[in-house]
Amino acid sequence: MRTRLLGIGGVLAVIGAAFFGLFVVPADLNQGDAQRIMYVHVASAWIAYMSFGVTALAGIAYLWLRDLRLDAVALAGAEVGVLFTAFTIWGGMMWGRPVWGVYWQWEDPRLTTTALLLALYLGYLLLRRLSEDPARRATRAAIVGLIAAVDIPIVHFSVIWWRGLHQGPTIGSPDKLLHPSAPLQFVAALLLMLGAFTLVWGYLMIRRYQLARIEWQIEEHGRVGRISAARRASLAAHTAPAGTSQAAPVQESTP
Amino acid sequence: MSDVGFVLAGYGVILGGLAMYVLTLLRRLRTARERSLRIRKEADAAPPLPDSGR
Repeated sequence: MRTRLLGIGGVLAVIGAAFFGLFVVPADLNQGDAQRIMYVHVASAWIAYMSFGVTALAGIAYLWLRDLRLDAVALAGAEVGVLFTAFTIWGGMMWGRPVWGVYWQWEDPRLTTTALLLALYLGYLLLRRLSEDPARRATRAAIVGLIAAVDIPIVHFSVIWWRGLHQGPTIGSPDKLLHPSAPLQFVAALLLMLGAFTLVWGYLMIRRYQLARIEWQIEEHGRVGRISAARRASLAAHTAPAGTSQAAPVQESTP
Repeated sequence: MSDVGFVLAGYGVILGGLAMYVLTLLRRLRTARERSLRIRKEADAAPPLPDSGR
């Protein structure tokens, strides 16, 4: 019930924040209406960082404690993070075309490292499908999740370390948070959307975690069922009277 | 495409995508719950393992 309330609250908050960003905040003098895309683009990027951060932390905790619930948290973070990274890239492209004149530029470090981040965590999700053993899968995923997390600070600081098309951070440090280089209304719209996305993120994380736990239980049932069936067959073979066979008659192969 | 067109495309895909993911996730969760319940019922209804006599 509380999770459902969180979801409803998140949806209402996103609707409210979108309304504020689209209709209340004025258009930017230089960028025009395209500036409004920033509220969903930047908020998506921050949520993606947070999701992958959770995946990395849950991975470390799993390697330490070997608790499969932590692996479910890591999986939830990765899947939700991939979703928000895709939103970040889409929002950036929709903003880039009217403002920069291009949808995408591979020479830009921020864009390229973000695309790499998406590819790394898609790989993480694909890797999880390669193993049926939950413990082995969780260990491999935790290691890959940690390696992929190295890209998160590279994405964030790429605009400071290298020169590219992407502008520097508007609110990237405590000093800029107190004295942002954007008007206060723009910052309020961004923070509202960030708050709304955080509520939705919490809801998605809980639901995806629940799904991972149920999927794991189904896998366990299947494994136990296969072991039981094998044991039944083995016992039946041992208790069968001598001279009788449980096996189906072998058909002679035709030449 | 005008600026407003890009804004609509940006918000439409992101918010629409978010809504689609929520609905898909809820459907996956419901299917998994039903499957888990069915498996549990089948396991309860299955005859107990025969005693090996050892």
